[in-house]
Formats: sequence, structure tokens, C-alpha cells
Amino acid sequence: MVNSYDLIIIGGGPAGLSAAIYGGRAKLKTLIINKGAVGGLVNTTREIVNYPGYGQISGSDLMLDFKKHAERFGVEFLRDIVVSTDFSQEDKVIKTKKGKEFTAKAVIIACGSEPRLLNIPGEKRLQGSGVAYCATCDAEFFEGEDVVVIGSGDQAIEEGMYITKFAKKVTVIVLHDEGILDCNKVSAERAFRKEKMEFIWNSTVEEVLGEESVKGVKIKNLKTGDSSELECQGVFFFVGMVPSTQYLKESGVEMDKRGYIPVNNLMETNLEGVYAVGDNRIKYLRQVVSAAGDGATAAVAAERYIEELNAFKTNIANSYKKVLLVFFNASNTESLEFSSLMEELQREHNEDYKIVKVDLATKKNLAEKYEIKAVPAVIVLDKGKKVKELGCSMDKAKLKAQII
Amino acid sequence: MSLEKLNSSRFEEVIYDNGEPCLVIFSRKSCHVCQGVVPVLEDLQPQFEGKFSFYYVDVEEDKALYQRFSLKGVPQILLFKDGEYQGKLAGKVEEEDVEEKITDVLNS
Ligand SMILES: Cc1cc2nc3c(=O)[nH]c(=O)nc-3n(C[C@H](O)[C@H](O)[C@H](O)COP(=O)(O)OP(=O)(O)OC[C@H]3O[C@@H](n4cnc5c(N)ncnc54)[C@H](O)[C@@H]3O)c2cc1C
Repeated sequence: MVNSYDLIIIGGGPAGLSAAIYGGRAKLKTLIINKGAVGGLVNTTREIVNYPGYGQISGSDLMLDFKKHAERFGVEFLRDIVVSTDFSQEDKVIKTKKGKEFTAKAVIIACGSEPRLLNIPGEKRLQGSGVAYCATCDAEFFEGEDVVVIGSGDQAIEEGMYITKFAKKVTVIVLHDEGILDCNKVSAERAFRKEKMEFIWNSTVEEVLGEESVKGVKIKNLKTGDSSELECQGVFFFVGMVPSTQYLKESGVEMDKRGYIPVNNLMETNLEGVYAVGDNRIKYLRQVVSAAGDGATAAVAAERYIEELNAFKTNIANSYKKVLLVFFNASNTESLEFSSLMEELQREHNEDYKIVKVDLATKKNLAEKYEIKAVPAVIVLDKGKKVKELGCSMDKAKLKAQII
Repeated sequence: MSLEKLNSSRFEEVIYDNGEPCLVIFSRKSCHVCQGVVPVLEDLQPQFEGKFSFYYVDVEEDKALYQRFSLKGVPQILLFKDGEYQGKLAGKVEEEDVEEKITDVLNS
């Protein structure tokens, strides 16, 4: 089995699938590794009304279209979980839970996010017995019963309203002062008008009560510090999401305190050839349309990166002349002047060697490989092998003496 | 799906008449967590061929069955042996959890 790919995408939600469509179309050998069902978080959405070109479609139907599109461009799919990565070499290594190992020239991290747990007493123990995280999956089980919703973001309020179709009453526990919800205005207004919906303000849930099944919740008022109990048969937790990036802890990929990955406008992380897209990156709008845009950007950037990488390799390895790798940094004037001087020398001795200029800021792996820490620096390669490092002097004669 | 689907009468037959050591996943088509757990079971199935059977119930089609076990959510995996209920696993479970539970039931 061939385990090397041009592009490996971790995660098969809208961001990963869009990246795959672009990767496949660019004829990159592309693999998506995804745990669970392809489509990601969107599969939970009953109705999407804001994806361009689709007036109204269920999340899973939309994702099926994304997947078919990617398959048409020859993308391969693997159902498995990425558990560790090694991004220190040019060929990036990815290991999965089922014990498989893959290498790729470029990697796109598109693993999205998952529901945050509050980790309060009773939460884990009563899962499936009244504690729930997905209204589409579980609301029907609470026909005619009392349900508590924890949270007040878009997801909490929209899912809460869906639950009112089945439940007798839905009580929303909100951290904020009366009248303040974290969701969009339209949803808030609709929620306030909903007869079956009630709100408890300035409060949080401390414990889920019940032995075999949920019997109630213990609520703490954050203003007064008082605790009270509310009887209910179901508790839905919608307290936000956390990025699914724990497996990257040792990878060297930079992340913020919460695990979100910062990228530039090419979706590049701090590591060369590693990109992050969709809900797991630091961003303003977490939606299908923006996830898809991220995926497309990263795949195009990855394609250029791979092309450059290949060109660079052929330039060095297949050169019959000696190659001088000149490391520079665009923000360092001395190194820029030095590389101009090297070019001047080369023009005068064209037949002896060729010069390949390397920007230290973008070719970190290469700099590490040859242990280059500061600019300017020059190393001499013969058939791809390092033969020596030059002393960088602005004196042309001294430089020439070292080369010839 | 490679898991055999059970309706109420087939459920009686498999669990109580035959007393098969088996698991039954209660799931729903529109539940993405279920769609993630079912393939995990499909992967495990061959490993227990002949010793332990794998079934599924669609809760939308067979309401009576989940009501009987007072289930309050999907996916849930119920385990049985000799016609007796042996416990359950709820929510997003990993392959190891299921494997461990099956082994416990087989050794009990
Ligand atoms: C209830 C709800 C309603 C929403 N409604 C809308 C809406 O109407 N319109 C809209 O545009 N957006 C909506 N969104 C937001 C939208 O779902 C997300 O922005 C979008 O799914 C993000 O896509 P993604 O590809 O970044 O991540 P995800 O969709 O989260 O996909 C990530 C994938 O990566 C997989 N994965 C994670 N870790 C690993 C690993 N280690 N190895 C392998 N695979 C891994 C996951 O299993 C998952 O399949 C909604 C979200 C929610 C929760």
C-alpha cells in the first residue's frame, strides 16, 4: 500500500471537503482522514438557509454533495482518527488510531470543534439517560416532559426552540442579566415570544440530579450565590465548542490558550506546509460558507508550496554545477546586500556554480536542516550534499577565494 | 449497513427466545453521533464472528422498543446475554469501550 500523499487533510467537514475538491482538481494526490461520518458538524443541522446557491437544504444533504464533488476529483477517504503528527521534516508524518502511518508534502488541519462539556457532577453519568448535546438526535425522547437548556448562544436558543416542539416546557439557564442572550436578535425575539420557553437569568447549573435518569438540576444564582433545585427530565448542554486540536499539542503548531490555531491570509500556520482551516482556526465567522472559503485558499496555497518544493528539489539535486544556497531575510538589509553581491560574483563566474536564494522566513525546514540560525549565510552543495559553509564577508575577493 | 436491523418481533426472537450474546445499537438516521458510532461497530463485528452478534434498531421506526428500555437519547448500545440485559453504553463511544464491554459480557 502506498502511504505517501501530496496532500493530507485532517477532518472531513465543509472546510476539509472544500480543500479536497481544490486539491483533487489540481491533481494533487489527496487523502482525507476523518473520524465518524463525513460532513462533520453540519450533519447535525436540520436546515441550512445561508449557503449560497442552496435556498434550503439539510446539513447532511449539503455535505453529501460536497463529498460527491470531491470524489469526482479522485480524492481518497479514510475513516480513522489522527492521533499524532510529526511536522519536523519536509515529509510530514501522520499517525492514526488504527496504527496506520502516512506521509504528505502538505497537511491541512480541518478538524473543527466539538461540544464543550461542563464536567459537573451527574453530567457524564446521566448521558443517554436525560443528559444530551444534540436536539436533532434527542429532542423527541422528551415528549411532554420538562427540559432545561444550558447556554444562550445561537445554538442553545435555536435548538431550545426546536425542543419546544416536543417538550412541555423548556427552561433556559442564562449567565447574563435579564433580557440578554448571546444569540442573534431575530432568534432572541422569537424565543421571548415562545410560550413554552422560560428563562432563568444570572444563573448556571452546578449539578445534574438523579440516580438512573435525570430528575432535576441544581441551579446557582451568580448574583446572590443562592442554590435552588428545578425538576426536569432532560438537560441539554449548549455551552459552546472547543477546537478538536488536542492531538496537535506536541506538534509544534502554534495555538492560542483555547486551542485555536492562528493563520495568515494563506491559511498558513507557523509551520511550513501546514495549514489550518475552518472552525479550528482563529477567525471571525464560523459558518459553512467561510469554512469552504478557507479550504479553497489553503489548498491553492498548498499546491503552490508543493510546486515550489518540487522545483527547488530538482534545482539542487539535479544540478551538475555546485549550488550555493544563500539564506537571506527580506527584513534584513545586510543579508539583502550580501545576496546581491553573491549574484554579482555569480554573473562573473557563471560557469562554476549556481545560486539559489532562500528566504529564511518561509523556508524554515531547510534552514533547520542545514542548521542556519542567522542571515546572511551560505552553504555549498555538491549534488545535493553539503560540502562547506562560507564565511560571509562583504569583500568580493575573499568570497571568491572561498568558492573556487 | 452490515448490522442486521431488528423490529419488535425479531428483537423478541433474538434476545429472549435464542438468548444470543449480542449488542443492539439504538440509532436514528438524522443523528450524526449515531452515524459515527455505527461504523465503529461494523469494524468490530468480524472480530466477534460466531461469538457475539451485532444488531441495530431505528428508533423512529420502533418507538415501542426504546420506550421499553426507558432510553432518553441516541446512540445507545444495549448488551444482552441469555435473555438478560447486561448494561449499556451511551453517546460518542470509542472502539475500545465497546470491545471491553463485549469481552466483559462474554466472560461473565
Ligand atoms: C447546531 C449548529 C447549527 C449550525 N448551523 C449553521 C448554518 O445554518 N449555516 C452555516 O453556515 N453554519 C452553521 N453551523 C456552523 C457550521 O456547522 C460550522 O461552521 C462548520 O461545520 C465548520 O466546518 P469545519 O469543516 O471547520 O469543521 P467540522 O464541520 O466540525 O468538521 C470537522 C471534522 O473533522 C473530524 N475530526 C476531528 N478531529 C479529528 C481527528 N483527530 N482525526 C480525524 N478527523 C477528525 C470531525 O469528526 C469532523 O468530521 C452550525 C453549527 C451548529 C453546531
